[in-house]
Amino acid sequence: MTSLSTSAAAAPVRARPRRRRKFRWAMLTPYLFLAPALIIYLGFLVYPMLVSLYTSFFDWDGMSKTMTFIGFGNYINIFFGDEVARQALVNNIVWTLGCLIIPTGIGLLLALALNRGLRGTVVLRTLFYAPAVLPLVAVGLIWGWMYNPNFGAINLILRSIGLGRFAGGWLSGYDTAMPSAFITYVWASIGFPMILYLAGLQSIAKEYYEAARIDGANGLQQFRHVTLPGLGESHVIVLSLAVIGGFKVFDLIYTMTYGGPGRVTQVLGTWMYFQAFQYYHAGYGAALAWLIAVIILVIAIPYIRHMSKD
Amino acid sequence: MKALMLAVLGAVAVMATPALAQDKVQLRLATVFDGPTVELWQPVLDDFMKAHPDIEVKMDTVAGSGAAVYPDVLRTAMASGDPPDVFFMWGGSISGPFIKAGQVRPLDDDYAKYKWGERFPQWIDNRLKIDGKMYGVPLHGQGMGMFYRTDIFKAHNLEVPKTYAEFEQVCSKLKDAGIYCASTGGKFGWHVMRLVDYFTETTCGPDVHDQLNALKVSWDQPCVVAAYQRLRDWIDKGWLVPNFLNVAPDDSRIPVYQGQAAMVLEGPWMEPAIVQAEQDPANFGFFLPPTDHAPDRYSAFPEQWMISAGSKHPDQAAMFIDYIASLDTQKAHPEAFQGSPLIGMKPDCTKTPITCQIVDIVQSDRPAYPPTDQAFVKELMDSFFAVQDGIIAGKLTPADGAKQFQEQVDAWKAKQPA
Repeated sequence: MTSLSTSAAAAPVRARPRRRRKFRWAMLTPYLFLAPALIIYLGFLVYPMLVSLYTSFFDWDGMSKTMTFIGFGNYINIFFGDEVARQALVNNIVWTLGCLIIPTGIGLLLALALNRGLRGTVVLRTLFYAPAVLPLVAVGLIWGWMYNPNFGAINLILRSIGLGRFAGGWLSGYDTAMPSAFITYVWASIGFPMILYLAGLQSIAKEYYEAARIDGANGLQQFRHVTLPGLGESHVIVLSLAVIGGFKVFDLIYTMTYGGPGRVTQVLGTWMYFQAFQYYHAGYGAALAWLIAVIILVIAIPYIRHMSKD
Repeated sequence: MKALMLAVLGAVAVMATPALAQDKVQLRLATVFDGPTVELWQPVLDDFMKAHPDIEVKMDTVAGSGAAVYPDVLRTAMASGDPPDVFFMWGGSISGPFIKAGQVRPLDDDYAKYKWGERFPQWIDNRLKIDGKMYGVPLHGQGMGMFYRTDIFKAHNLEVPKTYAEFEQVCSKLKDAGIYCASTGGKFGWHVMRLVDYFTETTCGPDVHDQLNALKVSWDQPCVVAAYQRLRDWIDKGWLVPNFLNVAPDDSRIPVYQGQAAMVLEGPWMEPAIVQAEQDPANFGFFLPPTDHAPDRYSAFPEQWMISAGSKHPDQAAMFIDYIASLDTQKAHPEAFQGSPLIGMKPDCTKTPITCQIVDIVQSDRPAYPPTDQAFVKELMDSFFAVQDGIIAGKLTPADGAKQFQEQVDAWKAKQPA
């Protein structure tokens, strides 16, 4: 073994002479197949992104023919001149932390329960996953009605079971609006991590659990040492999507609270929309959009790379 | 030979078709009309096209979005160099950014040519004038007041109030009878703003209210604090349906329909909504809330037609506006022009008595004050709403609210170019 290694190491490395491959038209074929998708990608994603990056260095109302170059003025204003943007950033961070823990945790618990092969698993899986296929705008509107203080289902139920003292304006309260919107998000989003974790659980070989049981591992130890490591790839997808979703949140806040009451539920996505489209600060809105994109990239890319290596 | 001739004729016909189509001027009209209104308007467009066979009018509508989305759609069309020729627009500050960006054609020459200035009440023309220029032609003059349940008033022997003190007495009696005085919806801010505007008119009076809206005097002053205090009092005394901060404006009508609340501050669009909600229109009346000032003003705003600066056919666009702003056209299609401020144009008072009552007021040239959201730009308006929300939620005292909003005004002014 050693000698083999030594001889291999001692062997002179001879560079293979590079032969120029003769051009043939057929070599272009794969690129021709890629071209339509690439053109669409460049035209509808890369080009607008670059334009918005360019716009973020200007003071522009989005309509006028003149744009005033202000360098990093918009970016500086986000951190030092705009109280609402800072509050929105904090809201996004809290929301994202919530996304990392609650829907993913519940999704994992549901996946574990459904993976036990109980009767009615298919029905339960469909039930839990169903909200995930609904558009968030529709979810926001439906839950907005459910939270309505006068005729909403939640207050009606509370009153009908004698808990009327807890009935209130869920989305009207400064302290309850954000948690109420987040509960809606949890309801709408547990299905996706559940399905991913369920797929991950079903790919873990039964032999690992048998071996762990023979070694005397209890249920918790099996979960800690077999299940969690076995779900590594699922974690990468679920947690990175949770971070991305947490910073991209827009639809639910827009439809349920419109950033209010006051501005306590503003998040970067809605504040970007208000600035760019309602206040006619297209440059500032573009800067906010790039801030969201950079935060997502800074958090998600190293995490995905790290987990992928493991 | 016959086949050859047919081929030549066919080719000529094909070549001639686009030329003929190009000869016809195509006008694009952008609106926020809903389905039923589009149906009411199609005969108007058809009649215009019949009278002007060289012009074709096509209507694009962004229905149901209100001022939240329609301006975005319009702005995108303008920024991409493809604006509509004629477009619907609210009055006041909502139209401001479009005018400032040079996207709206000044209509002073057309006003002189078609004598539009003589057709509408003076207050509407004054409201539409920006920096001394006219940019729009009135479509609607929307006056707002209290839609109240006549059956509830009758059951509790209540009279329409003539003074603010009487108004408070009515609210107090309703509360004693277990009925909320009024309902309002705090989502988006502008529905509650109508009440705040009314309170400001009562406590500050017409002159100061106008100066406040023009940002010529400080909002941090006793009459504004008193107005905010009235809002607070109405909440604390249980006169408003509670927990309304996140209630959508349309949903705030439901307690009135259900008889839990006696009134709601709305405009002439409320009358068809009452019918649509299968309510008995006979159970509803309308009054202007008393301000205790002379002149006794009410809240009103115009809606208008504008012509894009980028329109390729501005003369035909003006001709079209002249057609729809004429008494003959509007009398021929009264359903399409409900709420028109055109002098001499009245709706069918047997079918829509409250709208008729409001149109009489609007056309009477009785002084009106603008809703604050048509006085301020949206950015400043949202600061106003944030303060309003803070007072409603008890996070701000009326005095702190007035002070905080003035600070927002100062900060906004400091950002504006000299």
